[in-house]
Amino acid sequence: MFGRLVKFAWRSTWRNGRRTVITGLAVGLGLGSMIFYEALMQGMGAYMIQTTTNPWMGDAQIHRNGFMDTRRIDLTVERPDSVLFMLRQDSTVSACTPRILSPASATSTTEMKPVTLIGVDSETDPALTMLEAAIDTGSYLSGDSTELIIGYKLADDLNAVPGDVIVITVARADSGLSSSMFFVSGICRFGSDDLDRYSAFVNLNTAGGMLGIPGDVHEIAVRFPESKTGADTTIAFWSEFSIFGNSALGWPELAPQVSAMLNMVDLGMAVTAIILFALVVFGIVNSLFMSVYERMYEFGVMKALGTRPGTIGTMVVLEAFWIAVISTVIGSAIGLLTVWITSKTGINFGEFDVSGVVFDKPLYPILKLSRVWIYPLFTLILTTAAGIYPGIHAGRLNPAEAMRKSL
Amino acid sequence: MEMNMVDNDVIVAEGIVKTYDDSGVPVHAVRGVDYTLEKGEFTAITGPSGSGKTTFLNVLAGLDTPTEGKVWLSGKLISEMSGKELSNFRRDHIGFVFQAYNLFPVLTVEENVEYVMLLQGIPPAERHDRVMDILEKVGIAEYVGRLPRKLSGGQQQRVAVARAVVSHPSLVIADEPTANLDSKTSGALLDMMRKLNEETGMTFLFSTHDEIVMQRAKKIVVLRDGKIDENASPKE
Repeated sequence: MFGRLVKFAWRSTWRNGRRTVITGLAVGLGLGSMIFYEALMQGMGAYMIQTTTNPWMGDAQIHRNGFMDTRRIDLTVERPDSVLFMLRQDSTVSACTPRILSPASATSTTEMKPVTLIGVDSETDPALTMLEAAIDTGSYLSGDSTELIIGYKLADDLNAVPGDVIVITVARADSGLSSSMFFVSGICRFGSDDLDRYSAFVNLNTAGGMLGIPGDVHEIAVRFPESKTGADTTIAFWSEFSIFGNSALGWPELAPQVSAMLNMVDLGMAVTAIILFALVVFGIVNSLFMSVYERMYEFGVMKALGTRPGTIGTMVVLEAFWIAVISTVIGSAIGLLTVWITSKTGINFGEFDVSGVVFDKPLYPILKLSRVWIYPLFTLILTTAAGIYPGIHAGRLNPAEAMRKSL
Repeated sequence: MEMNMVDNDVIVAEGIVKTYDDSGVPVHAVRGVDYTLEKGEFTAITGPSGSGKTTFLNVLAGLDTPTEGKVWLSGKLISEMSGKELSNFRRDHIGFVFQAYNLFPVLTVEENVEYVMLLQGIPPAERHDRVMDILEKVGIAEYVGRLPRKLSGGQQQRVAVARAVVSHPSLVIADEPTANLDSKTSGALLDMMRKLNEETGMTFLFSTHDEIVMQRAKKIVVLRDGKIDENASPKE
C-alpha cells in the first residue's frame, strides 16, 4: 500500500506541474543561495585565516607566560634552544622561527616614528613568513648587523629609500636606552598597516644585542602543515609546548578579533538558515493547502470509499516529500554549480577591511561537504514535515462536507 | 444499539432530519424521513433539485451525520460506530457512484477500479483478476491502462461503476449517475447496473431525476422539500 501511495503522490505532484516547478524553484533557489553563501563564508573565513597567519603570525606562537599581556622586554621564552629543538623534532610542525619584539622609535634625517622593532632569524624566517616575498624594493636580510627592512608606508613617513640611514632607539631590558644606526636594505609591502607602517625588521642577533638579551627571544612562531591545526584545541601540541613557564597559543587566541568574526559568520549563517527555512516551510504549507483545497471533492470521495485519514495524510506528506526531493535536486544543482564557477573565477569585492583583515584579492568560495550536506538534508526534512499540517487537515475532512463545499 | 431488523433490510432510517447552518441561516435539507431499504432492491430516489436527495443519500451511507434521527446500516446504529468502523464499513459494504464520475485523475483505469481492494488488502494477483473481470463486464477492458482524461464521459462512468461493484459490496449508492451522460449512454449504463443487480443480488440505491433511471428502477421514492411524498411514488 505504501509503495502505491508513493507512486500516487509522485503523480499528484505533477498534476499541476507549473506550480510544482515554481515551488521547487523557489525552495531550490533558497537552498542554492544557502549553499553558495556557506561556501562564500568558508572562503572568506579561509581568506581571513590565511591573511592573518600566512604573512607573519604563523599558525601558533610560543611566549613566556605573561609576555602577551605586558609586552615586557625581560619576559623572554624560557629555554629557547630546547623549545626550538623540540619543535624541529615534532612531526606536526612544518616550520618554526624565533623573534625578538620591542617598542622602538625610528628616526630618519627628517622624521621620527614609533615602531615595533622585530628581530628576525633570516635563515628560518622565509619558511614561515612572507617577509622575504614581500620585499618591494631592495633586498632581504643577509645577516649584516646594519640591515633594516621597513614597510613602504613607514618609508613614506620617514622619507626613506633603500640605502638611507635610520636610527632605531629601544629601551634595554636593564632599563637603559640603546640606539643603533641602520641602513635601509629593503622596503616591503604586506598589505597590512601593522607591518607596513609600524614595523622595522632587523637581524635577530642585532636586536638581541640592542635590547641586552643576547641569545634570548620573545616569540617562537610555528607553522603547521594546515592552518586549521592552529585552531584545533584537541591536539597534544598545546600541552607539550606550554612548558618551562612558556605558553603555546594558536591563531584564534593570537588574533581573537578574527576568531570572533568567524564565530559571527557562523551565527549569521545559522540565523539566515533559520529565516530561510521558516519561509520555505510556510511556502510549502501554503502550496499544499492550495492543492488540498483544489482536491476537496477528491479527498471526500477517497474518504467515502473507506480511505483512512492516516492514509490521506500520508499521501499529502508524500507529495510534500516529492516536492522536497525536486527542490533539493534543483537547489543543490544551483548551489553547487554557482560555487564551482565562482571557485574558478573568484569574486572581486574591491578592497575592504574586516576586523583588521584587508580584503584586496578575489574571494574564492570553498565547498566543505562536511558542512554543506546539512542544507539539502534540512530542506528535505523540513519541506516534507511541512506536509504534515495540510495532511492532517485533508485526513480530517468530512466526506459529505468536502464534496458539498467543493461543488 | 442493535435493532430488530428483518434479515432483508440493508438500511433502516428513522426520523431523519438534516439541517445545515453553514452561513447562520438554517437550511432544512431533510425534514423527518423514515425509510427502509431492502436487500436486492434497485430503487431510485427522485425529486426536484434541492429536495434533499443527495443529503439523504449521504446520511444513509454514513457519509454525513443526521441532525436528528437514527440510521442502522446492516443492523448497526451508525452513531455508535467509531470513525474507523464506519470507514471500514463503507469500504467493505458500500460502493459509490458519483454524478461527476470522480475517478482519481492520476490513476489509470485499473488503479481506479482496484483502489477499494487495495484498501482492503486484497493480494495483487486477485485484484488484477477481479479488475479485468469487471472491466470485461462493463465493456471497457481495452482501456485498462488509460488515465480517466483519455476516456469519454460514458466510459468514465462505467469505470466508476466498476470501482463501485468490484469489491462485491452489499449496497451500491449512486448519486445522479447519469446526470452528465447522453440518453443512449445512460440507458446502456443503467441496463448494465440492472444486470449486475439481477445477477449478483447487489442492492442499488439511486438519486436521480432522470426518466431513464426511473424507467429501469424497480421502486421509486419521491422526495419533496426534504420529505417522502407518499402520494407521488410513481412506481412500486
